[in-house]
Amino acid sequence: MKTTNHVSALASWAVLCIPAIPALAIDFAHDIVPLMKKHCGECHTGDARQGGFSMNTREDLLAGGDSGTPGFVEGDAVKSEIIARITSDDPDDRMPSEGDPLPPEAIALLKQWIDDKAPWEPGFAFQRTTWEPPLRLREVTLPPPEGGRINPVDRLVDFYWQKQGVPRPPRSDDRTFIRRVSLDLVGLLPTPERVEAFVADSAPDKRARLVRELLDDRFAYAEHWMTFWNDLLRNDYTGTGFITGGRRQITAWLHRALVHNKPFDRFVSELIAPTDESRGFMDGIVWRGTVNASQTVPIQFAQNVGQTFLGINLKCASCHDSFVDRWTLKQTYDLAAISSAAPLELHRCDKATGTQATPAWLFEELGEVDPAAPPSQRLEQLAALMTKPDNGWLSRNLVNRLWHRLIGRGLVHPVDSLRLPPWSEDLLDVLAADLVKAHWDVKHVLETICTSETYGAATPAVTGQPQGTGYVFRGPLPRRMTAEQFTDAVWQLTSTAPPKPDAEVLRFDPPAGTDAVQPVGAWIWSNDLAASPPGERLTFRKSFDLPAEAVHGVAVFAADNEATVFVNGKPATKSTDWTQPVMELVTSDLRKGANEIVVTAANGAAGGPAALCIELRVKTADGGTLTIATDGSWQWTTAQPDGRGAFKKGQEPTDWAPAVVVKTQSTWHAGMADFAAKLLYALAPDTLPMVRAVLVKGTALMAALGRPNRDQVVTSRPNDLTTLEAIQLANEQSLADEFSRGGAAILQAHGPTADAIVAWIYAAALGRKPTPEEAQAARDLLGETPSKDSVADCLWAIVMLPEFQLIR
Amino acid sequence: MKTRRDLLKSLAAAATATMALPEPRARASTSTATIVHPAAKADAIIVLWMAGGMAAPDTFDPKKHKPFEPGLAVADVISTFPSIPTAIDGVRICDGLPEIAQVLDRATLVRSHVQPDLGSILHSRHQYHWHTGYVPPQTVACPHLGAWMSRVLGPRNPVMPAFVNIGQRLEGIGENEEIKAFTTAGFFGSEFGPMNLPYPEQAAVAVRPPRGMEPGRFTNRYEHFKKLVKASPASAFTSDYHQESMLRSLENAHRLLGAKEKNAFDITLEPKEVQEHYDTGRFGRGCLLARRLVEQGARYVEVTTEYIPFVHWDTHERGHERVAKLHQEIDRPIATLIRDLEARRLLDRTLVVIASEFSRDMITEGQPGSTATDQASSPKDFLLKPEHYGQHRHFTGGSTVVMFGGGVKPGFVYGKTADERPCIAIENPVTVSDLHATLFTAMGISPKTVYEIENRPFYATEDGNGKAVHAIFA
Repeated sequence: MKTTNHVSALASWAVLCIPAIPALAIDFAHDIVPLMKKHCGECHTGDARQGGFSMNTREDLLAGGDSGTPGFVEGDAVKSEIIARITSDDPDDRMPSEGDPLPPEAIALLKQWIDDKAPWEPGFAFQRTTWEPPLRLREVTLPPPEGGRINPVDRLVDFYWQKQGVPRPPRSDDRTFIRRVSLDLVGLLPTPERVEAFVADSAPDKRARLVRELLDDRFAYAEHWMTFWNDLLRNDYTGTGFITGGRRQITAWLHRALVHNKPFDRFVSELIAPTDESRGFMDGIVWRGTVNASQTVPIQFAQNVGQTFLGINLKCASCHDSFVDRWTLKQTYDLAAISSAAPLELHRCDKATGTQATPAWLFEELGEVDPAAPPSQRLEQLAALMTKPDNGWLSRNLVNRLWHRLIGRGLVHPVDSLRLPPWSEDLLDVLAADLVKAHWDVKHVLETICTSETYGAATPAVTGQPQGTGYVFRGPLPRRMTAEQFTDAVWQLTSTAPPKPDAEVLRFDPPAGTDAVQPVGAWIWSNDLAASPPGERLTFRKSFDLPAEAVHGVAVFAADNEATVFVNGKPATKSTDWTQPVMELVTSDLRKGANEIVVTAANGAAGGPAALCIELRVKTADGGTLTIATDGSWQWTTAQPDGRGAFKKGQEPTDWAPAVVVKTQSTWHAGMADFAAKLLYALAPDTLPMVRAVLVKGTALMAALGRPNRDQVVTSRPNDLTTLEAIQLANEQSLADEFSRGGAAILQAHGPTADAIVAWIYAAALGRKPTPEEAQAARDLLGETPSKDSVADCLWAIVMLPEFQLIR
Repeated sequence: MKTRRDLLKSLAAAATATMALPEPRARASTSTATIVHPAAKADAIIVLWMAGGMAAPDTFDPKKHKPFEPGLAVADVISTFPSIPTAIDGVRICDGLPEIAQVLDRATLVRSHVQPDLGSILHSRHQYHWHTGYVPPQTVACPHLGAWMSRVLGPRNPVMPAFVNIGQRLEGIGENEEIKAFTTAGFFGSEFGPMNLPYPEQAAVAVRPPRGMEPGRFTNRYEHFKKLVKASPASAFTSDYHQESMLRSLENAHRLLGAKEKNAFDITLEPKEVQEHYDTGRFGRGCLLARRLVEQGARYVEVTTEYIPFVHWDTHERGHERVAKLHQEIDRPIATLIRDLEARRLLDRTLVVIASEFSRDMITEGQPGSTATDQASSPKDFLLKPEHYGQHRHFTGGSTVVMFGGGVKPGFVYGKTADERPCIAIENPVTVSDLHATLFTAMGISPKTVYEIENRPFYATEDGNGKAVHAIFA
């Protein structure tokens, strides 16, 4: 289908409309376009040319209509036909021919604009892009399969290639394939053993089986795709907004949803009509102070729902009717109003318009939101409408994003505007229907794509810059590893993953049917009434012995009003809200023999009862378990320790008194269900899979490698390595230390001979054997007697190879 | 003949692997005109960032003064320092900045810089605005001023990073995430982002092999890497765009790490007396580093006194006492920087800018009429204790920006604030947008410069509307 994409960019950003700056000259985008659209558009723009007169382009406007009089005279409003017509007293002559005449301020603006020589945005035209995906998915008849290639993707792509005269790319070899599909589905390098077993396997369905095995690796899958969803849902563990309490995580919900492959319609519903755990997405980021009207929380909601789930960009239309798309300011505000408890007044370019939004969504053909219902019900209605199978935008948008990740370029590209024509409408709709028919099973679509020969084809070399126009699909493109994939891969090779994640997520399946562990900890204070003067500060302690090294230690903790826990002189965890108990992995803080927990607790300035509850569950190397929980055996004092929970020698308090279990335990009932749920972490098996980069806070290195700070929704990562990043790869200290430690570990595990080390690094990093030339160069670097340094350097050099950093 | 811009372009292309990203694209024109870049007056810019809100009445815009005495009426005092004469006839600045006073005849003072009322003061939000020209939150990540310079002009020396940010830690301090949000090239991509050097005395480490690796070993590692690339069967993809750009970036990185220019990062190579002269602390050492980097061809260097909530210029209490220390920290290094640049004949083509996110006042939080919540506790009527004496509230109605060299009129004052409270700009107010337009214009960049991102225009100054203050140019 031919597309006219005349509608070009104007100064159309919400962000660009700042009232503080007075417009010195007439601004075409903000002053003239809306005016022409409103008063003249119906009859003289787009396909309409009443009286032979079109205003689509400046040339059209200048040319005038059937009368032959030019539409305007540059620099002379008085002599201009359109001014004469809009100011005429003659009802037969006056424009608009129906309805009220233009208001005087509009006439003044047009006059001044013409006097200013009628500046026009280059390339701008009132015509709209003529392509629009149908709302519902189209029925597509698949072309007959060729040569046994029955996967629907292949049937459509083979047909496309034939039509385009594109030669079918060869199949990728097995080693390339297993590396690619492992990185794509679980984000990890395949182990050398797995690569060899796969290569040796002669079964014809081995690729399909591998895809299924990877998708079934639930935790690895979840912890890879979390990167994708954290970007799209702008979820992070630290970042702007958290300091002022203006933002919440959805981490635990997201991780669980991915582990259990929550059907996508449920997934979306729970983000739009959220539970307490998933509401961080729709709540957006609240900034202290006033914000531009186009960045309020309800408008963020509309923008994020539009971009993330529908591939609809409402950012322009948050400020005024979009110039690049068909979305209007009112549509954005109406969508925003669904989530807003307070009435929402439309603001155009940050100025109030006096018009109130009416809660409504974008596609009323599928049903409507009841504007009279309370917000929570409206959100449920929106969620139901969004996830109707007939809403083709939701399914198309997701499969397009998945295709983009797996193939390197969207079917619709860039991926954030589904109103651009896809290179194959049929393929887009077939994949979308595949998702819906599989009851929104995302893994099913991934399986469809990854088991196709199209996905499994060799990547062609790309010469020159990828071009935006005239794109022809020739096969999958090489993609650069994300910061998380790269970091995970380095951690795999060097065994240097951190011991615990920052993200609080359950990384194992608790025993069937278990969703909580009954706490044994009691709320304690210095007296049984929990009486406490405002601002009172007490210190509590408990000593205990561990018969062996701790292999797994979990502390769950809550305090009213706040408290910090120190385990053996290390600050372990802090509670500032007793309704939200905190969980901390404390394994590495514990030791065999004597241990001590110290808690510094404070009552709030407002006074009221004060108490704390902590439970520590430890598994030890001898197979035993131990529970340390607050009870009458704890002690308290008013003395205050230092910042590490310790008292200076000679200044230890001597007035330790027994803590008291308070009588009214039920006062703190509200947080205990959560407390019990967090104790589940105590049931972890002795070995958990490697901590993944996605589960830790972004580092400077990861930021340099393209992990975004998630202020905004991010839908694609940089595909190029920059010089500043390359400097970091060459000398960033934490990375260098990881290579050093890796060098020592590899030397010990695979040394001492250079040949064995080279073979292992190539197998583990690249999934193949080195060529003789490579082996020679690597041996040169390792030296006759490989040292931990030379092994580290060899590993670094191989990790820096484009072959390593690219997913081919 | 090659124009300057052609030359810059070729240099930048040599230095950066991936200039021609598919997005964002530069656009050639705006709605009103083809973009014409002005002739550059400066080739490099050093921004000396007084993080936390530098009080104009206690620095470069002195007003009526009374020393502290118990019971002092706030109405009777605006500046907590007396004023001193400067090298410009009739222009005075605060006592405590005697060295800067002596070189002030090389400067233009803009005494009418104004910031918007954002309803509530959050430093990092105003700093985001000052550094990007856009008030957060935004729908895209906005590029830092330095990233604009880097994107449009590239480095002056292809080996050097174009944009260097000195003195600001990005981890372990309050509001660090908010600071990170603008310390970035945003949608331009990290190629144009800052090289962050929080500790000037450790800057050399950033361009050195990692700790524990001899330079010889470092070079050897890279040489063998190149052999492995050559030996790799993947080299069959010789013209492959992704592979090529990756190798080029690694080559550029190793070129800097092996080039003589890397010495610019090492301030210990300066004569001892020079080091001592600058060394009033991290900021002073940062000024010395900035000079060395500009000498070697950096384009945009920022040196900050460092933003930490309630620390440095963020004087919520004990303002007078703390500013007296800050005077000492900045006075000699800034004056020395100006003299050094002049002695090296670099000042004419280097614009040095002293700026801050807003000013401060004893009474008004925000600006007159603002609903901003008061964040200081010192009395607004009578001062009883010495710790009450100082500019403890954030003031957005009028501040001073000092610009040296780089084509500005020497010994010139532009704009004016009221002599009595509220000391708002009463003459020629200069917004952040207009100030940026002025800096861009000095550097030869049109304030209307526009890049296309997500199919929409994004301007160097908001909406392309920033108006350079031409009156300050010589």
